[in-house]
Amino acid sequence: APLAELSGDQDFQLFLHKNLEFTRKIKGDVAALQRVVCDTFQLCKEEELLLVQQDLRITQVALEHCHRPSFQAEACFSQIRNGLHAYHSSLAAVLELLPSHAGLVETLQLDAANLSSNIQQQMEDLGLDTVTFPAEGRGPLPAFSSRFQHQVGGFLILANFQRFLETAYRALRHLAR
Amino acid sequence: LLLLRLGGTLGCASVDVGSPVVLLGSAVTASCSVRSRLCRGLEGGRVRISWMLDNETVAGSQCCGTGDTEVSNLTLPQFNRMQAKLWCWVEWNGTKQRVGLAEIRAGYPPAKPSNLSCLLNLSDYGLTCRWEPGADSHLPTSVALKCSTSRAPAVTGCTPQGGRSHCTVPRRLLQLYRQMEIWVAASNALGTAESERLRIDPMDVAQLDPPALRSIQSVPPQTDCVALAWAVAPSSAHMELRCELRYRPPEDPAWALVTGIVGQAGTAQCCGLLFGTRYLFQMRCRRHSARGHWSEWSAARNHTTHEK
Repeated sequence: APLAELSGDQDFQLFLHKNLEFTRKIKGDVAALQRVVCDTFQLCKEEELLLVQQDLRITQVALEHCHRPSFQAEACFSQIRNGLHAYHSSLAAVLELLPSHAGLVETLQLDAANLSSNIQQQMEDLGLDTVTFPAEGRGPLPAFSSRFQHQVGGFLILANFQRFLETAYRALRHLAR
Repeated sequence: LLLLRLGGTLGCASVDVGSPVVLLGSAVTASCSVRSRLCRGLEGGRVRISWMLDNETVAGSQCCGTGDTEVSNLTLPQFNRMQAKLWCWVEWNGTKQRVGLAEIRAGYPPAKPSNLSCLLNLSDYGLTCRWEPGADSHLPTSVALKCSTSRAPAVTGCTPQGGRSHCTVPRRLLQLYRQMEIWVAASNALGTAESERLRIDPMDVAQLDPPALRSIQSVPPQTDCVALAWAVAPSSAHMELRCELRYRPPEDPAWALVTGIVGQAGTAQCCGLLFGTRYLFQMRCRRHSARGHWSEWSAARNHTTHEK
């Protein structure tokens, strides 16, 4: 049954409420890292980096099926999983940037993998097709030509990830009762 | 002069036991084979084999082996020691010589571990599990905490150190916000045993850090009410919580309780307090879904209400 019809299903609602809390946790950890980047590199406002970010090809993740008007729960879940996988890889660049906060970055990567796995499990429980990403598979790391670019790249990865999580959170909340 | 000589006489005799580890109280059979041709000094002579269990003589039955090998068989009907050395002796030149040894251990298969429970620590997200090991098996027993999810095969989450019956599964082996199966597996030479399987979402056994009472004021001054400002611990900032407040005068054993306080932070109000009285206040929280444990009570804060 299409995901939307399952909104009344108790297990599905439990899944949604659990993973809404999980997403809030991840958002909190991303915000903590954004504060570290701000304090450490004085990179705090995205609007100050509009020019330099054009040189950097920081991946953005498509989530159009998680927005109105083309909201489609199943496709949205797949896009969330793709995004989590992409950010799991991109966070490696943040790991290099903030070695003294490796614990928090690795926790973020673990949480992103867990959230993706939770969504995959739920989709499979509902009989939907899913993709299994390789556990250790890493997408290509963005290449930075200077330390400053690396810092800006780290800032943008976290900013994009925060926005991505906000969209994912709204989508889950839209389905939750 | 000992008969033992490196290399040569080590082939002189050998002791074989059915199993070096047996069930406590069960029978043990052993045989000592002496190959006199390989024992310098014993060639052709009469070989008299005898046994000692640690320091106690035990009687075996010696009979003709094959060719130049003499064999003595021994049965201990009820082996009641945890551990013992079974020595094979041979008489030589009027002396008794040790020519063979078997070390035997006795005990039980591992008992079934029970009362498995776990708590998730929100500072490092390690899952600490405890259990009752059950009766001692008296044998070297390996114990491991196993965990699995519906999507992944069982892995060893952690192994208790130093014979303890608790250990901590690190965050990287946990699957948060989803059912996991957790159990204790014990094994020794005589068998294996598993505890009941705990089916939990680690978050549902999170041990919350207590909230903090920030300030207490009489609001407004002339009433019998106080307002408390409180906030949840940062480690639970992302959770929907339900909290409760308790207060009492120090000398009063009974606490008054205010329940159903929700939110992340805010103010709670208590009325009906006595004037000019010093009160102790504490607060605790747990997840709104009522899954999991209450936090500890917060540090107590006291406040003396104003005179009438």
